Amino acid sequence: MAFWIELLISGLVAGLVIGLSALSITLVFGIARFPNAATGDTMTVGAYGALLGHRATNSLLVGGLTGAIAGAIVGFLGYWFIFRKLAQRSNVALLVASIGLAFVLRAILGVSFGHSQQVFQLPLVRPWRIGDVPVHPNDLVLAGACATILAIVFAILHLTPIGRRMRAVADDPALARVSGISPSSVMTVLWLLAGAVSASAGIVAGIKTVVSPEMGWDLLLPAFAAAIVGGIGSPVGAVVAGLLIGVVQEMATPFVGFTYKIALSFLLMLVVLLVRPRGLFGKLEGAR
Amino acid sequence: MEAYLIAILIVTAIYVLLSLGLTLQYGLTGLINFGHVGFFCIGAYAAAILSTAGSMPIAVGLVAGMLLAGLAAIPIGLVALRLRDDYFAIVTLGFSETVRLVITSEGWLTKGVQGIPGIPKLIDGVGTGPALMILALVGFANILAVIAFLRIVKSPFGRMIEAIRDNEDAVKALGKDPARFKIQVLVLGAVLAGLSGGFYAHYIGYVSPDQFLPIVTFYVWMAIIMGGVGRISGALVGTLLLMGFLEGSRFLRDLLPFISAVEMASIRIGAVGLALILFTIYRPQGLMGDYTRRK
Amino acid sequence: MTIDRRTILQAGASALALGLAPQGAFAQAEAYRIGALNPVTGAGSPYGSGMAEMIFAAVDEVNAAGGAAGRRLQVFADDTQTNPQSAVLAAKKLIEVNKVNAILGTWSSGVSLAVIPLVNDANILLMHTSGAPALSTPPANAKGYGYRFQATNDRFGRAFAEIAVKEGYKRPATMAFNNASGIGNTQGFKKAWEAKGNKVLAEVVYEPNQPSYRAELQKVLAARPDVIVMGSFLPDTTIILREAFQSGANVKWIIPGWAANPQLIRALGNEATEGVISVDSVANEQSASFARYDAAYRKGQSQPGASNVYAAMTYDMVITLALAIEAAGPGAGTAQINAKIREVANPAGDKVFSFAEGKTALAAGKKINYEGASSVLDFDEFGDVTPDFGVFFITKGQLERRYVVKI
Repeated sequence: MAFWIELLISGLVAGLVIGLSALSITLVFGIARFPNAATGDTMTVGAYGALLGHRATNSLLVGGLTGAIAGAIVGFLGYWFIFRKLAQRSNVALLVASIGLAFVLRAILGVSFGHSQQVFQLPLVRPWRIGDVPVHPNDLVLAGACATILAIVFAILHLTPIGRRMRAVADDPALARVSGISPSSVMTVLWLLAGAVSASAGIVAGIKTVVSPEMGWDLLLPAFAAAIVGGIGSPVGAVVAGLLIGVVQEMATPFVGFTYKIALSFLLMLVVLLVRPRGLFGKLEGAR
Repeated sequence: MEAYLIAILIVTAIYVLLSLGLTLQYGLTGLINFGHVGFFCIGAYAAAILSTAGSMPIAVGLVAGMLLAGLAAIPIGLVALRLRDDYFAIVTLGFSETVRLVITSEGWLTKGVQGIPGIPKLIDGVGTGPALMILALVGFANILAVIAFLRIVKSPFGRMIEAIRDNEDAVKALGKDPARFKIQVLVLGAVLAGLSGGFYAHYIGYVSPDQFLPIVTFYVWMAIIMGGVGRISGALVGTLLLMGFLEGSRFLRDLLPFISAVEMASIRIGAVGLALILFTIYRPQGLMGDYTRRK
Repeated sequence: MTIDRRTILQAGASALALGLAPQGAFAQAEAYRIGALNPVTGAGSPYGSGMAEMIFAAVDEVNAAGGAAGRRLQVFADDTQTNPQSAVLAAKKLIEVNKVNAILGTWSSGVSLAVIPLVNDANILLMHTSGAPALSTPPANAKGYGYRFQATNDRFGRAFAEIAVKEGYKRPATMAFNNASGIGNTQGFKKAWEAKGNKVLAEVVYEPNQPSYRAELQKVLAARPDVIVMGSFLPDTTIILREAFQSGANVKWIIPGWAANPQLIRALGNEATEGVISVDSVANEQSASFARYDAAYRKGQSQPGASNVYAAMTYDMVITLALAIEAAGPGAGTAQINAKIREVANPAGDKVFSFAEGKTALAAGKKINYEGASSVLDFDEFGDVTPDFGVFFITKGQLERRYVVKI
């Protein structure tokens, strides 16, 4: 039993990282309506930003804020110089341009920081034991951080006027425009928010693993899968689906091994798409 | 020098087959295939396994690679074509990564991460003569592919797939099933990618899973976007540009010694990214122009 | 490690200087052209630029001593990107455009396996640092033109088994990065360990770039091993050791030296790395050749030479090759030079530690045995070096060499 509980915890922890990155993808996908492949590299920007902030001040909080701000800036710049100009184009054009942006970001990071790994110098702590199950105190902190980020996103979407306008655009862009909602102010806030959320995902991943220019890109596919499984445009769905994918991957390892577990996110996505194309928490959408 | 140029041309010709496949799928039909490297990989491994462990003639491996890649496209098509086109992109990307995982895991067949060395050459021998013959062979395959491509475009089938791209609902209203045509196009493109993979395996002589990363797919996308989506000349010019660009960076370093190789690698990927962005924004029709009316 | 621009400039400048230098003493014979084909970017990037630079440094040394058999050495460098396709095109360029007589310094097995057929066709030598056993024998090494300056993964595995016996471990488990080198290490260990009549309790092969390796660790730890033998690289080792420490595991580790290095200690701190056993082929640290290499490396990279074993190997490649050229005499082709490599590097001969020393001894009609910076550098019938292994224990954040294992 303890064996399975431990696997479950591993899955939840891996799932938090996937879920956070999916959260950013789902925001953009739901409102700007294309899968943003630059999400992964925006994560990496956030991780490097946080690393610099943390090194300068020795405070993880300051580091986290630096990273989030860096991510928000990158999100905004991407919107302003690229995606804004492609607003009337097919989503393929946007997707291709976002891949281009991803590569450009990685190139800049590679030239600025080199390719060797960097780490957050944080004290390592031994686990608590609950029964036979080890619990990492750091994981609880991470889980708390993820819950906070989700709460903030939720609050912005549901409790602020700009959030209401964002949801209106997500539900029906044409109707929103007719009602006098300025798309550019909504989009600006959206991209700032999406950038900051990607950055937070990157920071969490960077703390758990190591920071290198390729780290975000490598997490992109499970994050896409989580965004789709959760239902495009649903923040809660993205996080829940991320956790689900993490748990399914890890709990399946005794049966499928450690290589095929990676394919499970893809498989899960395929099953959900066939059975329930709008995802677990997605609203019914009309024909595109 | 000429042998090096021939080598580049051979690799270019191998990639042109990939570009033609994607042009058929995306340029003509509007299928956003982001898993092209998966079919390429299947073709390469089929050729590698059959010609080494299977001791089969090279031609058998090439044909088997084409067939297997084509077969692999059918279930992908059946499942994925009912999806929105951006979902299709993600599903195909997932497919190509799954192919790589299978190749990695099934070591009894593929030798896993060790890779398969010693794949026989298309034409044995050393020096310029055999290299030219290999180029001629791959070039001949290119010409056949182009002829087939032109016949498809001019056929009722070609008009149908372009109609699907431009207005799928109208096609449905005419009582035709777009999905069937899309699957056929997906299979045709996959067959071309499979052939390309077979040539690749016999030319490089060694295959391993880490040669089939999604970056290969993105290179091909870059080629057709630079060249011009939906045009044969676009696929050719774009692929030549891509190879010139990838290989040119070797010589660029001789000229600009203050750029280290590490920086050059970053600059190379950054330039790919910049090209994708700039072409998408400012010249969506590519260098050769887009003869379709896609926006 | 960052590559600073100055070193590259220097490398470029020395290449230029070589190209432009008055031909003088070398006026008679054609230059011997060396292709430096290193993993400057991609997975091998922590080592690649140092490897390239040491080829230039060693070549400078040889030319300063008057060249080999009256021939000046000339270097053409390229980057494999640690990727077979790119390596093949780079090798084609070196062979066809630059007309090199030997290619030195390919790193990952995939790259060397892809390049060696070209080398065989062109009748030139390949000196590499890859671990895959397949590189020893035909078809890859059909002509015997391939030389391996790094111990095979198999030998590493055997060294791991010797260490496990010596340290009294009874219940080992293995974890391997899913690539040829990672799996080669742990399978080499398993073979040697089982040959001693023992059992491996659990084996895990993991994929790179995962957000967490806890499930992998859990499987290994469930078998309650007393030691975990790794076939791993730096980033994944960092994550795995951190997670193991944080899940409270009390287990010892045997890790290859390229992963258990000062960077790992810096990343994890002293407590989490205490007692880790790091195994590396013994750089010939007490030798004069190592001192020369170390000085050159510090000058170029501002780091101790011991931090990059592969750079020591590329340095030795040039010296060994130059001595063989010298021994083969003026106008020798690849086959004649190839025939001399074991003659100048293997025992039964006066030990020499630099090119100049060896050249003098050869001129005096003596037999020589070059003792390298990377190892004593003796090649077996497959062209593989057979180095000893240094066993380092990490103690209070320092790598401490306790003993040497001979296979």
